[in-house]
This record gives sequence, C-alpha cells and structure tokens, in this order.
Amino acid sequence: MKSTESTVDSANRLNSHDSVLATIDLVVRYGVSVALHGVSIHVGKGEMVALIGPNGAGKSTLLNTLSGIIRPASGRIVCNGKLAHVPEGRQIFPDLTVDDNICLGAYRGGSRDPAPMYELFPQLQRLQNRRAGGLSGGEQQMVAICRALMANPDVIAVDELSQGLAPLVVSDIARHLVELNKQNGTAVLLVEQNAQLALNITSRAYVIENGHIGLEGRSSDLLRNPAVRAAYLGGVR
Amino acid sequence: MRIRANRKISSYAVIAAGMITLALPLTLSSTNTEIYVTVGLYTIVVAGLSLLMGFAGQVSLGQAAFYGIGSYTAAIMALHGWSPLAALIAAPITTAFLAFLIGIPLLRLKGHALAFGTLAVQLIFLAVIPETASLTGGSIGLSAIPSLRIGPLAISSGRDYAYLVWIVVLVTLIIARNIVHSRPGRGLRAMAASVSGASATGVEVERYKLKDFTLSAAFAGIAGGIYAFFIGYVSPDAFPVVLSIEFVIMVVVGGMGTVTGALVGAALITVISQVLTTLGTSPSLPPQLPTVLSLGVYAVILVAILRLLPSGLVGAFSSLWKKAQAASPVSQFKADENVEAVSSVDKEEPNEFTLVDEV
Amino acid sequence: MTAFVEYLLTGVSRGLVFSLLAMGFVLIYRVTRVVNFAQGAFAIFGGFITYSLLKAGIPHGVSELLAILAAGLIGLIFGIIAIGGDIPLLASLVITIGLSIFSEAIGMLIWGTTPITYSGLAGHDFVIFGAFIQRQYLIVVIASLVVFVAVLYGFGRTYFGKAMSACASNPYAARLSGINVKRMGLIAFTLGGALGGLAGVLITPLSPLTYNADISLGITGFAAAIVGGLTSPGLAVLGGLVFGIAEQFVAGYWSPSNETAVALALLIVLLLWQAKRVPAGGLE
Ligand SMILES: Nc1ncnc2c1ncn2[C@@H]1O[C@H](COP(=O)(O)OP(=O)(O)OP(=O)(O)O)[C@@H](O)[C@H]1O
Ligand SMILES: [Mg+2]
Repeated sequence: MKSTESTVDSANRLNSHDSVLATIDLVVRYGVSVALHGVSIHVGKGEMVALIGPNGAGKSTLLNTLSGIIRPASGRIVCNGKLAHVPEGRQIFPDLTVDDNICLGAYRGGSRDPAPMYELFPQLQRLQNRRAGGLSGGEQQMVAICRALMANPDVIAVDELSQGLAPLVVSDIARHLVELNKQNGTAVLLVEQNAQLALNITSRAYVIENGHIGLEGRSSDLLRNPAVRAAYLGGVR
Repeated sequence: MRIRANRKISSYAVIAAGMITLALPLTLSSTNTEIYVTVGLYTIVVAGLSLLMGFAGQVSLGQAAFYGIGSYTAAIMALHGWSPLAALIAAPITTAFLAFLIGIPLLRLKGHALAFGTLAVQLIFLAVIPETASLTGGSIGLSAIPSLRIGPLAISSGRDYAYLVWIVVLVTLIIARNIVHSRPGRGLRAMAASVSGASATGVEVERYKLKDFTLSAAFAGIAGGIYAFFIGYVSPDAFPVVLSIEFVIMVVVGGMGTVTGALVGAALITVISQVLTTLGTSPSLPPQLPTVLSLGVYAVILVAILRLLPSGLVGAFSSLWKKAQAASPVSQFKADENVEAVSSVDKEEPNEFTLVDEV
Repeated sequence: MTAFVEYLLTGVSRGLVFSLLAMGFVLIYRVTRVVNFAQGAFAIFGGFITYSLLKAGIPHGVSELLAILAAGLIGLIFGIIAIGGDIPLLASLVITIGLSIFSEAIGMLIWGTTPITYSGLAGHDFVIFGAFIQRQYLIVVIASLVVFVAVLYGFGRTYFGKAMSACASNPYAARLSGINVKRMGLIAFTLGGALGGLAGVLITPLSPLTYNADISLGITGFAAAIVGGLTSPGLAVLGGLVFGIAEQFVAGYWSPSNETAVALALLIVLLLWQAKRVPAGGLE
C-alpha cells in the first residue's frame, strides 16, 4: 500500500520549492488563546502526508487556515497549486441534491460535469438526485470528497476521514484516496484520529500536539516509534 | 474574574443608584416625576426583553402589546370591582400566560419567527381593541381607573408611584441578575451572541427560551399594570408599534443581556424622546417633524450602536474600564468573547432548515 | 357571481403582489438567514419613486423601471448595513428593524403623510363575467408571473442559483468551495430590494400607500413566505395568493375592518402549523 519512491527525498527537503503546500511558522490565535504556535509543515508534489494528534491539538485549525477560513496571526502559507479541503464532519450542503453538491465543488472554475466522480464512486450514481442531507455518513463523506475533487486540486486536505464511519467504509474510501494519488498525482494531507490507518497509507507524517509539531518523519518510522505507539496506536511495547 | 470585577462596579452603582432613586422623587416637578416613573416602567419592560434578546437570541416586537395587555387587564379588573391589588397581580399573570401560549410554537421555529409572530400579536391587539368597545372602551379607552391601594396603603401621588415603581424595578433587576449569573444563562448568552445564530436546539434550550420569553412578558405586564393605575386612563394610542421598537432600541443601547443596560437604555431613550418631542414641536415647524425626527434618530442610534458598539453602552463602558485597569486576567475574558465570533464561522452547524426540493 | 369574480380577480392580483414581497423575504433568508424586516420599505420606495418620476414628466415604463432599479440599490445599501462585516444574525435582524423605521422617516420627510397613488398604465377596464376589471390587474398578473418564472428558474436550475442556495444551506462549506458568501448575501439583498420595489410599483396604482404601509405590507409578505417555511419561493407565491384572496373575500363579504385582523390571525395559525412540523427540540 505504500508508495516509497519519493519518500526519502521529500523527508529531507523541508520547505523545498517542490512542495505544493507549505506553512512557515504559522501562528493562529482564537482571541488570545493560541491554537498554533509556529507550525511549519510541507507537502511535496504528489505526496501523501498524515497529520495526527490528540483532540484539540490544532489539526482542524491548521486546515482551516490553509483554506483561508481563518487568518493566521503570523507566518506564511505557500501554495503552489490548487488546494481542496474536505472538512471535519463532512459539511455537505444538506438541502441540495448529491449532484448539486458535487457540481458546486467546481465553483472556482473547471468542468462542472460530475460524471467522472460517479465513475470514482459508483455507489453515488443512483443517489444523484437525492437530498444530500438524507445520505448515510459514508455516502456523505464520499460526496464531500467528490466535491473537493471537482476543483481538480493539486493537493487535497482531508479532515478526519474516518469520523463516524464503519471500518469497511473507511478502508474503501481510503483506498480511493490512495488510487487517486497514484493515478492523478494528487497530493494528500490526511488528518486522522485513526493513526494506524493514516500511517499505513501515507509516506510521511507529522504529529501535532498543543499547537506544536511534536514529531515528524517517515510514516513507517513513526509506526515503530514507541512514543507514537503508546499515544496513538494503543500499544505499549 | 470578570464577574468579580462586574460585581464591584455594580455594587457601587447599586448603592449610588439607590440613593439617587430615593432622593429624586422628593425634588422633582410633576412632569419630571412622570418621566421618572416612565423610566422606571420602561426599565422593567426592557430588563425582560434584554434577557430574551441576550439569552434566547430572539427579538420580540410585541412588548408594547404585552405592556398594553397588562394595562388593560389591570384596568378592566379594577373597573369591574376587583381590588386594585388583585388587578395588579393579575396583569403579569395574564400576560405571561398569553406569551407562554404563543411562545411554545413560535420558539420552536428556526430563524426569527418570534419577531414577526409577536409583531402580529401587537397588530392584532391594536386591531381588536377598537372592535371590543364594550369591554375595552374601544379607541376611546378606559378612564376613571381607581387608584392603587395595597392593604391600608393608598398609592395616589406621583411620588408614591415613583417609589412603588422603583421597588418593582429593583425586584425585576434582581431576578434578571440571577438569571444572568446562572450557569445555563451564561451558556445561552454565548449561543445568542454567535455570528451564525446556529444554535444547539435541545429541549433544554427550548425550555430556557420559553422561560425567558414568558418572563419578559410578565415584566411587561406588571409594568403595564402599574402604568394603568398611575395614569388612570388607558387607550390603544399608548401602545403603538413604535413603542415596541423603542423597547428594542433601549435594549440595544444598554446592551443585550445586561442588567444595568436595561436601566441605562430606558433612561437614555426616554430622555432623548422627550427632547426630540420638545425640539420638533413648535408652531413654525411642520407637524410631522417630531415623528420624522424621532424615527430617524432611533434608526441611527440603533444601527450605529449595533455596528460600532455591539455590546451596548454598558458593555463598551465596562470593557473600557477593564482596559484602563490593564490587569491581564480580566482581559482574558474579553478575548473569550472574540472567540465566539470566530468559532461560529468555522464550526457552523451544517444546517438548520430545509430548502424544498422543488426548487 | 359578478361580485365573486371581482373579489377573486382583485384578490389574485393583490395576492401576486404579496407573493413578490414574499419572494424577497425568501431570497434574502435563503442566502443570509436574515429575516429582513425592511422588506415592506422596498415596496414603499418603489411606489413613491415611481410617483415622483411620473410627476416629473418621465413616461410610464421608464419611471417604473428606474424605481425598481432604485429599490434594488436601496436593497444593496441596506444589505451592506445589515450584514457587512462579522455581525451576529440577531444584530442583522435588529438592524433591518432600524432600517425600516429609517425608511419611514425618509418616506414621511420626502412624500409627507398623505396616501400616494398614480394611475397605472392608462387604458380601459375590461369585463369578465360582468365584472369590471382594471387594466392594471392584468399588468400585475403578467409582470409577476414573468418574475416568478425567472426567479424559480434562476434559483433552481442555474449554477449561480445553486451557489446562492449553498450559502444558506451551509455557509462554511460554501466558503470552502470558494463561494463568496457575503457577496452572495448582498446580491440577495439587491434582488430582494428590486422584488419589493416591483411589488410597490404594481400595487400603488391599485391602492394608495402611506409612508408607514411598509409594516402591513411587510408582515403580509412575511406571512406568505412562512407558507413555504421562508425557504421555498414556489410556496411563497402560493402563500401570497392565499392571503390576497382571503383578504378580498373577508373585506367583501364580511367587513373591510376585519381584513388586517384576519390576515394576522391567519399568520399566527400558519406559524403554529409550521411549528408543528418541526419535531420538538430539534431542527432536522
Ligand atoms: N472556533 C474556535 N474558537 C475558539 N477556539 C477554538 C475554535 N476552534 C478550535 N478552537 C480551539 O483551538 C484548539 C485546536 O482546535 P482544533 O479544532 O484545531 O483541534 P483538532 O486537532 O482538530 O481536534 P479534533 O481532533 O478534536 O478535531 C482547541 O483547543 C480548540 O478548543
Ligand atoms: Mg478537528
């Protein structure tokens, strides 16, 4: 499941201009409480990167800042390409049809034809005229991903892919992400509570705690890291 | 910390206000006594409305109607041989009951159905009075309302009413304060202040909203009851739609959900309205000028306060005061208020209503 | 029979005017979630500006069009004041209350307190089933039907319309998709202003308006909008018709003075009915 080719290189090349997405010393505040204390991450072209960390660490804050919903107090965001964001909790348009939800992903430009998305997720095809609010959680997650993909992004940030979904559905959607990455070279920044899953399918990972990047490295290394295992993989060994 | 700071301010304020309150009626002319009583009555109404707006996040445009219903209840009962005290007590009860009945369905609706629902109540009230002349005296109104007596105590002079009103003001403000500082109260206030208005609408929350609405009507009812005895005459002209809007403005000027704000807002707007009336009424000026002036000025005040000082005069003053103190633990709370604004932008409830598919 | 037809046709055309107002409510609510209290004021401006332009010698057609554009512009300005910047929803609502009384002040200042009217498009009355019908009614019907079709199509079928609906459905997600939610809100206010303006342009020749008629027009429009839960333009049109016809029949067969009270009572009933459809303690 792992794509190892570019892994070693990009792990050593911080802030390189080859990255599609990078943050430099990003500081984000909510009022006076600081949610991100100088976070620097980068995602290489076509790379799959995981971002793991406990609740309240600042993961969603980071993604919201990347997509311009929150303005950082200081620091820089460099984005060499189009970013699409699959937000936490899916956040579909519940009153619109599945079709409309997906099409609106192309609001910034590009093709508005949802057909390719139905090829990617065939199970959505027969739901295309249903109200998205009435879909199951997994179906909504697919809609949210399709909506993001309609923007034809160079990098897609997915917040809590597995939230509230059955393991089978999660692995199905995860497989799609990996395929997408392989076939289109779309870079992926994956925020996950399920660290096992995230570290398995990505090549590199960051561990964020209390608004600081605590640890970064190759996902395979982090999988073996005793601290990570203890904190996120439910095992002490 | 904030609460402690506020308590300090307000305990000084309460002592000072108490002394002024006691002393003033002794010195005022009869016109000014009337204004003084009016400010007190409006403070009672506004305290209730302020809770509703600050906590339930709902606007009522029917407070003048509730005020009127309280007045009519008291007047009709007193004229039909009930003891004035019983009539006065019935005023808030009737009003609260009515509000409770219409509040149950209206508060369930998303958005601001309550604003229009209560406006409809107000307009119905104004439409019904002229049609029910046998009971309400129609557009002419009811007069010769006996004066109030509480046991052996006859309340007849303006000064008596001034004291009575301000005792009731004190009681309502204490009730309001307790709600403000109660735990659910604070949670609700945060909810009402959110940018999106996205609200967790549990049964619990719904119940609090209903309680606030009922209480706000009760406050308006008791104020209306006292008004009927004080003026001795009620007619529909005394409860126009504009009065309901004035109550909303008083709340906004003072600051939604603040207790002192009710007093400040009521006093300020009552005085401004007096000034405008005197300014605009002169034989050389066109007859509609006072209305144009007051509507225009009200609108400007309302919009300016909401845009520039969203927490009202009292809120703005107390944050200035805190800034002047520059003590760090206090300022943290200021920040918390900002957080509210941010949180609703990015943590929007996915949806609150249904768009119909047909579209 | 003659009276019946007359009430019915009058009711339909007045009802269509309410429908236009209701659509304005729906449009603005759907995109911004603000219940625009100043909706009735747009109608007043539409009617009064047409009156002044006609008086200044500008021909029919041009005057009406300019007045509608002006109402749209007023809608935009009101929108900027009500929803510009980061502002809580409740504050926006209260600001529209302020804008509504401000409009009354302006209306009174410029046009005074006497009712204003002008003759609609000149022409003979025509006769249906023995009832004399003013030509203006026909214009009301045609103009509003055209607008309804345009709005329903624009909202339901076009990409832009869907993007507007998305703003109300989930503002956060709309922003993520690159939709400028604030700008959409301002567009909705502008369109809502123009719709209100059109309503005023159409109704002023039929029944003279005073500067403070915005409240009664607004509340009837709101009541019509409530039929569709404030979100469905189609049901709002239906609601307007129901109110228009009910109002005429009550006034005709019972008493004109009950007209308002009945409309308001109907509103309360509608609100109760809407509330019943919402399960206790929950919104979806
Ligand atoms: N809108 C907001 N207003 C104020 N504070 C916020 C807001 N959003 C997040 N926070 C705070 O910022 C910190 C980071 O939150 P964030 O949502 O980014 O965490 P997270 O890593 O995504 O957590 P989770 O795994 O639970 O989704 C938390 O302490 C949170 O309470
Ligand atoms: Mg998160």
